[in-house]
Amino acid sequence: MELSLNHRKEGDRTVLEVGGEVDVYTAPKLREKLVELVGEGNYQIVVDMTKVEFLDSTGLGVLVGGLKRVRSHDGSLSLVCNQERILKIFRITGLTKVFPIHDTLDEALQDTE
Amino acid sequence: MDGVELRLPPDVAYVGLARLVVTVAARSAGLPDERIEDLKIAVSEAVANAIKSHVRHAVSAPIRLIFGTSNPGFFAVSVTDAGSGFDPTPPEDSAARNWAAESGLGVTLIRGMADAVDFCRDGGMVVQMRFSLTQNGIDARPPCAT
Repeated sequence: MELSLNHRKEGDRTVLEVGGEVDVYTAPKLREKLVELVGEGNYQIVVDMTKVEFLDSTGLGVLVGGLKRVRSHDGSLSLVCNQERILKIFRITGLTKVFPIHDTLDEALQDTE
Repeated sequence: MDGVELRLPPDVAYVGLARLVVTVAARSAGLPDERIEDLKIAVSEAVANAIKSHVRHAVSAPIRLIFGTSNPGFFAVSVTDAGSGFDPTPPEDSAARNWAAESGLGVTLIRGMADAVDFCRDGGMVVQMRFSLTQNGIDARPPCAT
């Protein structure tokens, strides 16, 4: 399944909806999108991963890269993920301590951290 | 180990295909559904590392996967590259990890997802992974041990 990327503004946040498979082949497209969003001045980003079918370490690396980019502008990058199989990947790599991870988009948008 | 052999061109576009084929074989071998996701991740990471190694060293030879039921009760997958391989970093303390590095998470995921994993050098790098076909696999001998 191909990667799908759609973004929209929600107040002062930018929501990036990611769907499909994020792997070593498709992750560069996600990296480009994050670089583009930050380049356009979007520093408060919520990555909605509800529709992600598969995520590998390249995808994780791209998200870490995105986090570093927004932080260099005093911004934030949080994730929406409620799928156990994806959460397990964040746990094993210790990234649950690096990203704020929310169950729902509403919860992520209400988080004022 | 007897099993099905798959040769993949060293192009990351084939990682998805490898994932798909091995997943179908594992399902038919009886790997429980809840372990299929673990298998997908581990195979993807091992195949991606092997392909990246070939690309980095301009090796045009295919990478080789062999997979099937091994010993009673295990589904095994080995991924062999012909390049100089990669350095299998030891298990690390995630709290001490340097998050400035955007790579290096793959081996951590392989170790975290497979029931047993071994990294051998046999020409190139061989990554051997095993997944218990039962919920409580107890045979955790390193798969490379003879």
